[in-house]
Amino acid sequence: MARLVVAGHGMVAARFLQELSALGHDHDVEVFAAEDCEPYNRVLLTDLLMGTAGGRDLRLPGIEDPRIRVQRGTSVASLDRHNRRVRTSDGTTVGYDHLVLATGARARTVDLEGIDSHQPPTGVHVLRSIDDAAAIIAAASQARSAVVLGGGVLGLEVACGLARRTASVTVVHPTGVLMDRQLNAGACEALQTTLAAMGISCLLHTTAEKVLTRNGNLSGLVLSDGRRLDAELLVMSCGTVPETGVAQAAGLTCAPGVLIDADTLATEDPLIYAIGDCASPPEGSSGLVAQGWEQARRLARLLTGSPVAAPSRTPAPTDVVRVKGGLDVVSMGVNAAASTHSSQRRIQLLDASAGRFVEVVVDGDRIVGATAVGAGSTAADLTAAYTRAIAVPKDPAQMLIRPSDSAAGRTGSPTTMPESLTVCSCNGVSKGDLMRAWEAGDRSVAEVSARTRATTGCGGCSDVVAGIVEWLAAGDPDQTTSSGALEDDTQRKRDAHEMEMSRG
Amino acid sequence: MLLSILQVVFSLGLADEHYLRTRTTGADAVRAAAGYWWPERAEGLCGVPADEIRRAAAILAAGSPAHGGHGTVILTGRGVEQGIRGTDTVTAAINLALALGLPGQPNSGYGPITGQGNGQGGREHGQKCDQLPGYRSIEDPAAREHVAGVWGVDPSALPGPGLPAVELLSAIGTDQGPRALLIHGSNPAVSAPDSQAVVERLRALELLVVCDFVPSETSQLAHVVLPVTQWAEEEGTVTSVEGRILRRRQAVDPPPGVRSELEILADLAGRLGSQVAFDTSADAVFDELARASAGGRADYSGLSHALLDEESAQFWPVPANGVSTPRLFAERFATTDGRARMVAVDAGNPTTGPDISLVTGRVLQHYQTGAQTRRVTVLDKAVPEPYVQVHPTLAQRLNIAEGDIVDVRSPRGTARARARLSVNIRPDTLFMPFHWGGSGCVNRVTEDVCDPVSGMPAFKLTDVTVTPALGQVC
Ligand SMILES: Cc1cc2nc3c(=O)[nH]c(=O)nc-3n(C[C@H](O)[C@H](O)[C@H](O)COP(=O)(O)OP(=O)(O)OC[C@H]3O[C@@H](n4cnc5c(N)ncnc54)[C@H](O)[C@@H]3O)c2cc1C
Repeated sequence: MARLVVAGHGMVAARFLQELSALGHDHDVEVFAAEDCEPYNRVLLTDLLMGTAGGRDLRLPGIEDPRIRVQRGTSVASLDRHNRRVRTSDGTTVGYDHLVLATGARARTVDLEGIDSHQPPTGVHVLRSIDDAAAIIAAASQARSAVVLGGGVLGLEVACGLARRTASVTVVHPTGVLMDRQLNAGACEALQTTLAAMGISCLLHTTAEKVLTRNGNLSGLVLSDGRRLDAELLVMSCGTVPETGVAQAAGLTCAPGVLIDADTLATEDPLIYAIGDCASPPEGSSGLVAQGWEQARRLARLLTGSPVAAPSRTPAPTDVVRVKGGLDVVSMGVNAAASTHSSQRRIQLLDASAGRFVEVVVDGDRIVGATAVGAGSTAADLTAAYTRAIAVPKDPAQMLIRPSDSAAGRTGSPTTMPESLTVCSCNGVSKGDLMRAWEAGDRSVAEVSARTRATTGCGGCSDVVAGIVEWLAAGDPDQTTSSGALEDDTQRKRDAHEMEMSRG
Repeated sequence: MLLSILQVVFSLGLADEHYLRTRTTGADAVRAAAGYWWPERAEGLCGVPADEIRRAAAILAAGSPAHGGHGTVILTGRGVEQGIRGTDTVTAAINLALALGLPGQPNSGYGPITGQGNGQGGREHGQKCDQLPGYRSIEDPAAREHVAGVWGVDPSALPGPGLPAVELLSAIGTDQGPRALLIHGSNPAVSAPDSQAVVERLRALELLVVCDFVPSETSQLAHVVLPVTQWAEEEGTVTSVEGRILRRRQAVDPPPGVRSELEILADLAGRLGSQVAFDTSADAVFDELARASAGGRADYSGLSHALLDEESAQFWPVPANGVSTPRLFAERFATTDGRARMVAVDAGNPTTGPDISLVTGRVLQHYQTGAQTRRVTVLDKAVPEPYVQVHPTLAQRLNIAEGDIVDVRSPRGTARARARLSVNIRPDTLFMPFHWGGSGCVNRVTEDVCDPVSGMPAFKLTDVTVTPALGQVC
C-alpha cells in the first residue's frame, strides 16, 4: 500500500480526503493537522463574527475511513525529500511515497510602532482561525471603538461583523479605493454609501503607523497623516501569506505559494503535490476556496486513477468573489479593478447615491467578468451567467438591470398592445376578447371577468385587465367616468372569487 | 438551493434540535454536508440571491410548529424528481422538512405532488414494477408470502421486480424483450423520453393492445384498442398526497360496448385459461386489495367502499381494527428504530453550461399528453398548440421574434413549435409543454437517461440548440 502523507487539515485537505475516501483509494494516509480541532469551514468565520452561525455549524463533513489517520495538534516541522520522509512537531519521522501540502495561508501582519511582536498589546488581532474569531468576539464585547486595518474583502466583512458588536467601527485603507483588487473608484463610491448607512466609517489614503497603549491595552492609533484614532480593538486585514515554511526549507520554489503544475498539481518534486491556499498554480492563486476544492477533487482523481473531468463539461470558474456579512458586493473574472484587453467591452452603470454600481465585461458573445455593488438580484443573474458561460444579449447593457417583470413591463401600454396578445394566460383571454366584452356592454373588471373569465385563474393578470378596462373607458365617448375600472383591488378580487364559487 | 436553505436553518438555530435528537438519525452528517453551501456560494451556482435563500429559510421556519407557527408543508413537484440527481434533490427536501421538525406535526410535513389523478393510490397498491399492494417490496420474502396467501398461490408464482418504464420501453419488440404489450390509459408515444425511438419499439411489437377511453397517438399504433370506462363511468376510490382515501362514484353510464378494466382483466384471464374467477365489481376488488395490504405501510385492511360511503375522514394506515391515521409519523417513522433516517447529499461539482437547456412541463389547461384535454374546445382554444418559452435576451441573440416557428434540437431529435417570449424564464433555459404529439412533441428531444436510484427519466435539462425553422409547422 502506498504511503500518503498530508500536511494540513483545513478546508481543502478535508475536501481532498473526503473525495479520496469516496473514490475508493489504496493508500495508507497519515494526516497532520496543526490546529487541535476537527476541520472547519473557515469561510463561515465571518458568520461567526456576525453572530449568524454557531461554532458547530462550521464543522465540515467527517470521514470514516480506517486507512486515513489524523493527528490533531501535530504539524509537519520539516521535510526530507531525499529520504522521502517528514519530521513532525512531536519529533517523529514518517516516510511517504506521496506527500500533499495543504497548509493554507496565514494572515499578513504589519509591523507597527508600539507593537512588541513578543508581547503584543491586548486588543490587536488577525482573523484566520476559529481561535482568532473567538478572541475577537471576546474583545469586541469590551471595546467601544474598533478599527479594521485594510479595506479588502475580509476587512469589510470583519467591519460588518464588528458593527454589530461595538459602538464605533472605522476602516483604515491605504489607497483611495476599498477592495481595490476588485473595485474601481465608481464601485467604491457606491459601496461607501452602503457602509455609511451601516454606521461604518472609512478613512482612505492613509494607514496606521503607531499603536497607543494604556497598561498593555490598546487605546488608539496614530495614522500616517498624523491623525489619532481611538481604538480598543484593532483587526489587521492586510492580506494573507501562503504557509510555505516547510516547502521552502526543503528547497521547493515558492512565489508566493509553492509552485505547482496546472494539470498534475505536482510541485517541482513529482512526489509532492500542493493544493489550496499554500499553492501557486500558473494562473495564480485566488485565495478562494472554490479553486482549492477543484484542486482537491482533481488530485483525488489523479491519485486513484479516476477520469479527471467528464467529457464536454468544464469546471465552473472559481474566481467569483462574493462579500458576506450583509454587503451586496460581487465581482468575478475581469472585474472593475482589472484592465481590459482590446477585444473586450466594458459596460457600466453607476448610481452612487443609491449605492449601486454594475459593470459587465464582454468578449465576443461571452461575459468574461462582472462587478456588482448594491445590485440585488442582478448580481445573482450575472454570477449565474458568468459561471455557466451563458452567451450575452446583443446589447450587453441589458444585463445591467433586470428586465421588469411587472405586468406593464411585460405587455406595454394597452394602446400599443396587439389585439391578439393573450392577457390572461390561465383562460386564454386576449386583449381583443376584452374589447369585445366592452362592446357587448361590460363596463367593469367584474363584468368583463364574468364574461371572459379573465383574472379568475391565478389572478396574475388583474392589473393588466384593470388597465385595459380603464383604457377602454377613457376611449369610450359614452363613458364619462372610469369608476368601474378604478374600483378597489380587493373588491375586484372578491367579485372574481365569488364568480368562481358560483360557477361551482 | 435546498442545501443552502438547510445551511441557514442550521446556522441561524432555526432547526428543531429536540426533534432531530429524538426522532431522527443521521442529522450530524446532514448538518455537515449542508455546511458546504452557505448562501453566497449557492447563489453563484443556482442564481438565487443569497438574501432570498435566507428569507426562504426564515419563512419556512416561522410556520413550523417548533417556532409556534401554524404549520409548514414542503412539497416537491415532479420537476425536481426528473433529473439524473432527482433522488438527491428530493432527499434534500426531506432533510429540510426533518430539520424543521415538520413530519408528524400538525398541518406540517413533506409531500411529493404526483402528476396524475390517483397517482398516489395506484402506486400504493403495486402499480410499480417492484412493489406489491400496501407499499410492499416485491423482493421482501415476508411480503411475497402474505400477498401470495391472499391470492391462494405459491409465493414463487409471483414474479420478481420488472423493468422500470424507460427500460421496459427500450426493451419491447427486441429479441430479448417482450413481444406483446398491454397498455392501460397511457400514451408513451408522446410521454416517454426519446419518443421517436419509443414509437419504433411500439411498432416492432407483435401485439400491442391499448385500453383507453380516448384515442391517442399510442392507440393509433395498436393492433387492438379496447374502449374502457372513464372515471365518471365507474366506481372506485382516489387517494390524495396526504393519504386520505375518498370514494369515487359512478355518475353516468358508459356508452354501449365499453367494458371496465376489471372486466377486461377478468375476461383476459378466462381466455388465458385461468381457473380463478376474478371479481369485476370495484368494491369486491377493493376488499381484496385491502386484505393484500394488511400489515403493509399503506394498510387499507380496515376500509371498504361501504365505510367510505359514510364520508368520514379516512387516512391510511387503517388496519383491520378500523382506526384511521389522520397524521402519519405522529409517533414513529416506518423504520425498525422508529426514527427518520436522514441521508446526507451534496450538490456535486459545479460545471459550466450547456449553452441552452430545455425544461419540459405542463400548462394549466392540459392534462398529460393532452389526449383528453385537446378534445375540450375551451381548453384547446386557450392553448391550441405547443410553444417554446424563450427569454427575450436569448431570443434576440438567436434572431427569434414572438410567434416565430423554431426548431429545438438534441441528438435524439427535433421538436418544432412557436416561440413565446417571456421574462419569467432564465436566459439559458427553454420551456416546452409536453401535451402534444407530432412535430411539436417535446419528447422527441428528451434523452432516456434516468436517475440511478429511482429510474425516473431526466426530462428536465436536456442540452439543446434552437434555430428559426425554415419550413412550416406541421
Ligand atoms: C474570515 C474568512 C472569510 C473567508 N471567506 C471566504 C469566502 O467567502 N469565499 C472563499 O472562497 N474563501 C473565503 N476565505 C478563504 C478560505 O477560507 C480559504 O481559501 C480556505 O480556507 C483555503 O483552504 P486551505 O485548506 O488551503 O487552507 P486552510 O483552510 O487555511 O487550512 C490549512 C490548515 O493547515 C494547517 N497547517 C499549516 N501549516 C501546517 C503544517 N506545517 N503542518 C500541519 N498543518 C499545518 C493550518 O493550521 C490550517 O488548519 C475566507 C477566509 C477567512 C479567514
